[in-house]
Order: sequence, then C-alpha cells, then structure tokens
Amino acid sequence: MRERDDSLDEPAVRFDRISLSYGPETDVLSDVSMSLAPGSMTFLTGPSGAGKSTLLKLAYLALRPTAGRVSLFGVDTGRLKRPGLANLRRRIGVVFQEFRLLDHLTAYENAALPLRVAGDHERRYRDDVVELLRWVGLGDRMDAKPATLSGGEKQRVAIARAVVVKPDLIIADEPTGSVDDDMGDRLMRLFRELNKRLNTTLLIATHDLAMVRKSNADVLRLADGMVVRQPAMAMPEAGAGSETQ
Amino acid sequence: MSSSSPLLPKQDAREAALFFVVSALCFLAALAGLCARSAYAAADKWTDRVTGEITVRVRGDDAAAARAAMIVSSVPGMQEAHALSREQAEDLLKPWLGAGGVPADLPLPHLIAAEAAPGASGVADSVAKALKAADIDATVDDHVVFSADVARATDSAGLVALAAVALLGATAIAVIAFATHSALLARRDIVEVLHLTGARDGFISSLFERRFMMLGVEAGTSGALLAFAAAAFILFVVKQSDQKIWLLPQLSLSLADGLILGLTPLVAGIAAMLAARVTVLRSLSEML
Repeated sequence: MRERDDSLDEPAVRFDRISLSYGPETDVLSDVSMSLAPGSMTFLTGPSGAGKSTLLKLAYLALRPTAGRVSLFGVDTGRLKRPGLANLRRRIGVVFQEFRLLDHLTAYENAALPLRVAGDHERRYRDDVVELLRWVGLGDRMDAKPATLSGGEKQRVAIARAVVVKPDLIIADEPTGSVDDDMGDRLMRLFRELNKRLNTTLLIATHDLAMVRKSNADVLRLADGMVVRQPAMAMPEAGAGSETQ
Repeated sequence: MSSSSPLLPKQDAREAALFFVVSALCFLAALAGLCARSAYAAADKWTDRVTGEITVRVRGDDAAAARAAMIVSSVPGMQEAHALSREQAEDLLKPWLGAGGVPADLPLPHLIAAEAAPGASGVADSVAKALKAADIDATVDDHVVFSADVARATDSAGLVALAAVALLGATAIAVIAFATHSALLARRDIVEVLHLTGARDGFISSLFERRFMMLGVEAGTSGALLAFAAAAFILFVVKQSDQKIWLLPQLSLSLADGLILGLTPLVAGIAAMLAARVTVLRSLSEML
C-alpha cells in the first residue's frame, strides 16, 4: 500500500500558457494551457505533425518550453534543480514512440531499467518484472535482445519498462501502434488497471480514434498549435477510426 | 535472467585506439619521470661527493706546500688535510692523459686535499685567510662553483623532464576528455533513456567514470611496464659498456623508480576518471 502523497491532489500535469518554437517562425505550440486531474485518463489526438510528441516531451521533461510554465504534481518544473527533476522523472513512466530500448540489454534488463536506475536490489524486483513480462506475453522472450524482437514485442517491453515502477503518471506515445488488436486491447487493459487500482494518471497520444471512443476517456485534440478538450464520444467515427495525415 | 549486463556496452574499437594512445603517453610520462628522478639523483650524488672537500693549490716550492698543509690542517673546523704527492696528482690527470701520459718534466701544481668537518661552515674562507696571513701564495677552492653549476644543470634537466611529464599528463587528460565526449555522443541514446528514466547526473557520470578509470589503469600499467622494460634495457646497455656511456640517463630502477612506475597506472586511472566526470557532467548540464 502506498503512502498518501499530498502532491497527488494537485493536477498531475498542468501547462500554463506554454509556447514552444524551434526558431523565429516555427511555433510548434502556441499559448497552450491544459491540466490533467490526478487519476485521470486522457487521450491526445491530432493530425501528424500537430505537435503531439512535442507536447508529450514537455510533459515528461525532455524539453523546456520557450514560454510558459509546466507543473507536475503541483511542482513548477522550471524552479527545480537537476536532482529535483530526476526525482520527478522517477514518478513518470514513458512509452516512447520509437521504443528506445537499449540494444545491448535483454528484454528483462530493459524492463527492469528504471528500478536499476533507482538503486533497487534485483532480488527485490526480479519476480515483479518477470510477472509483468509474462503478463504482456513475453514470458519466453525475457533473455532476448531488442534486435531479435518484433516491433510488437519491442513495444510491449517498452510498456513494461514504463509501468514497472508503478508510476504516478504514464505518458505514452502511440503505445498500441505496433501491436495487433488483441494485444492492443490487452495493453489498454493494463493501463486502465493501473489507472483504477493505483490512481495512475494516463496521457496517451494516439491516432486510433476507435480506441479513444471505446475508452470513454477525456480527449485533448491538438491542431494548429492549440489544444481543445472534447469528450471521447465526440470523436468522429468515420475513416475506420484512424486519424492520419 | 538477471540485470548483470553493464549499462554501457562493452568497449568498442574507439576505446582500443584510446587505450593505445594513453598507453603510449603513460610510457613517455613514466620514462620522463624516471629521467627527472635520475637527474636529481645524479646531482645529489655529484654534489654530495664534493661537499666539505677543499682543494688548495699552492704556488711555490715543496717546502711552501708542506708548510701550507700544516697551516690548513690547523684551521678550526678542518677534519683532515694532506699535500698530494706527484704520483697522486698524476692520478688525477689519468682520465685525460692516460696512464704514464704525464711527462716527467711537466711541472704540476702543489695540491692540498682537505676535508672540513661535517656541518662546519666558512672553513674555506678561514683557510684562505690563514694562508694569506702566513704569506703563502695559494688558491682555495671549496667546489662551490662546481656544485652550483652541477645543481643548475641537473635542476634544468629535471625541470625539463618534469615539464615533459606535466605536458604528457595534460595531453593524456585532453585525449581522454575528447574520447569521453565522443563516447557520450556515440551513446547519447543510452544516456537520454537513462536520463529520462530518472537517473541522476552522478549515476550516469559514474558509468563513464568507471569505464575510463579502468581504461586509464590498464593503459597506465601497460605504459609503466613498457617504461620499465626501456629502463632495464638502458641499464643493460650501460652495464655491457662498463658504465662508460656518460650521456645516457643514470637509471637505477631503485625504490623511487619503482614508486614512479607503480604510481603511473594510479595517476592515469584517477586522471581518466576525473576527465570523464567533468566531460560527462558538462554534457549532461546541456540537457534539461
């Protein structure tokens, strides 16, 4: 059982008038404000190139905004020093779109990476990691290196790595993009379990509108550098449930 | 399964090349260190030998020389003084003129070899005054000029060698810093993943520090062993030539030399570790 953390009453993610540009005329995000309630599940949708990955990078502290304030769990990240930022990152599980597994480590070692980084002893986490990998269908692939894994298997290892520390916030960039529908449903069920049981906040970027509609979760739609909140049911049904440009 | 794999991949070709470069630098640094030590040791040996020795050159006949010897030996602080015979004076010229190379009719100066008591000071001046008071025409040489020249020469040689050690050390540090930066760039993907999974800067830095410290220790050991082999070879050459090679460093492979060789891997390891630490922390500070 986890101890109660007062910071969990604050919005898990809060953007105050965030802008980000890579040059004088290349605004990716412009004056974006939004917040995610603790324990909420939110999908981030929008056309390709709308800045979904950039917004996620701001949320998992890989980028600093050009203007505005990013707060996580009530903490203004702009005021934190490096050790404070590292502590905050340990409360976030990230599923990168391109997986970003370490090629020289096995599936098991990749999944256990955040625990190793946090200084946990392997004897304390071994069983949990094994169970998690079995749950995502990789029980017989634990010693495999990423080079020998399929795209779907890599994605499942990346998801296992993101959830292994039972983070307060999970940020996932197209987490079901490389797996079949069954596995996609299974992974979404894992996310929902974490969301319900541990009150984990979820922010998931996806093109899969059918999945968004099924979830009945909050939706943030990003287009032209602006964010609009809309209910899942309001998402268009046409186009076989996929939003790609 | 277990998390036993190192978080940084095993060494690649770049590190093998770096190992070679650092080994070579450590070899040269260790050899320069041995040369610096031998220069100082030689200076000590040469100056120790003449410290306290006083040579008096008497202009006059044998009687004047005998009288001068008596006066010199009676000066306070003088331990021993005796006039050199002609045979002893000829022995001094042997290295230059060879045995029997001094013609019988060649006039040789009358010399008095004297030795001041240990710790006695100003004895040479007292001798000069006493001889002058006795109206004996003589020159007193306490080898101060020679000792100063030797000390100056060996100090210069030692400083040059130490400067070489410092330069080689700085070069090694710069090379390692450059290599660390390259390694960091080559493994940027790993560093970023570690960073984004909550690894602190010190944790990431320690991975590179350990890696480059081991490289420094191993390269330093290899360089020190090569320097030992080179010194042993020079010693062998000197011994084979009956110690007549004056221009070669007077290497001895003494305890102090062993210390220099033993410290080389340690210093190389620490320098490599610090270079890696500074480079990694500086690079990480550019990331959010």
